[in-house]
Amino acid sequence: MKTTMKSYAILGLLLLTTFAGELSALSVTVNDVECVYEYVLYEGDTVSGNFVVVDHDIFWSSDHPGIDFIVSSPGGNVVQTMKGTSGEKFEFKAPRSGMYQFCFHNPYSTPETVSFYIHVGHIPNEHDLAKDEHLDPVNVKIAELREALESVTAEQKYLKARDARHRHTNESTHKRVIFYTIGEYILLAVASGLQVVYIRRLFSKSVAYNRV
Amino acid sequence: MAENARVLLPLLLLLMLVRVQNGESVWLNLPSSGTKCVSEELHNNVVVVGDYAVVSDDHEHLTPIISSKVTSPYGNVLHHKENVTHGQFAFTSSESGQYLTCFWADHPAEGVGLIVNIDWKIGVAAKDWESIARKEKIEGVELELRKLEGAVEAIHDNLLYLKNREAEMRGVSETTNSRVAWYSIVSLGICILASCAQVWYLTRFFQKKKLI
Repeated sequence: MKTTMKSYAILGLLLLTTFAGELSALSVTVNDVECVYEYVLYEGDTVSGNFVVVDHDIFWSSDHPGIDFIVSSPGGNVVQTMKGTSGEKFEFKAPRSGMYQFCFHNPYSTPETVSFYIHVGHIPNEHDLAKDEHLDPVNVKIAELREALESVTAEQKYLKARDARHRHTNESTHKRVIFYTIGEYILLAVASGLQVVYIRRLFSKSVAYNRV
Repeated sequence: MAENARVLLPLLLLLMLVRVQNGESVWLNLPSSGTKCVSEELHNNVVVVGDYAVVSDDHEHLTPIISSKVTSPYGNVLHHKENVTHGQFAFTSSESGQYLTCFWADHPAEGVGLIVNIDWKIGVAAKDWESIARKEKIEGVELELRKLEGAVEAIHDNLLYLKNREAEMRGVSETTNSRVAWYSIVSLGICILASCAQVWYLTRFFQKKKLI
């Protein structure tokens, strides 16, 4: 009896030492379907996160409407769906513990790079407090503070990914301005040259002399 | 003895899960053939600690083996291991850019894809809190608050980084803006120039041909 109590105490302490770790936003290339799995330890944990489609080398913006995002619970039910987006934040309360599946579906053949961040947050509640005598109410407050800081960090990662995408667009615009303008000048010069050559030919002696 | 085992086994299982939850790892699906890569854009001087392991719940067959490679944005290989079931790597980024971590299955004869658990921590999350706790002899609530302080500092640093990036992007945007205006005016000038040149040349041509 005493060993089970001690083991629960050790467990409780260990669970508390989950630090406010920042999981970095990983990027994955989605060709058709890419699935990422995350384990949720407790029922009722808040799973939050965001994803941004970063690589967007498209010509017109109507070319690619975005990717689909589907979250499935371990039982196979779909928890959340987002269709045709280029970046979203999501948050839901896990109905049960287990391995959750986060899938990105790319409806088109051009591969897209998606940068995602998933965080599973657990705040000990009164039930855990009652079960373990080593858990202080201050630990609950610390857990809430940690989760609040995590949400700020998550927001920052989302902003960083959006900034990366914006930078892509900006640099693409910059390059397009230079190349398309120089191309336009050359084309203009060539068109005028061709016009002159054509009119000269119209008046050349080999064609019927006084036709014009 | 049996009672000890009954207590220890779930404890060990939960310990493993807790350790995993600590790092907030992500599970990826490796196809049976081909490479699966995850990337992250890092700036200079960031500590990166990574931990990967193949997950297999079937104890009869041997755990499938994979190879992994971590490359820096300029192509240097930071970590390369073949034929392992788990591995670890740590480095400090010396170049800013896209860091790529690739995995591939060595023996595609398995037929079915395998699942790899990746635990990728950067910056403040990669700090070794246990050694800091031991060195400064802090524990419990004080350690938790120290971790939260680290998280807040990381948030501040991230904000400054985002601010600098935004300033750079604003510079590029303003350059593009002024260039669009200037190039359009030059384009108009070239148009007028080309038409004047055409008119002048054709007048001379027709005068030579004694048509005017």
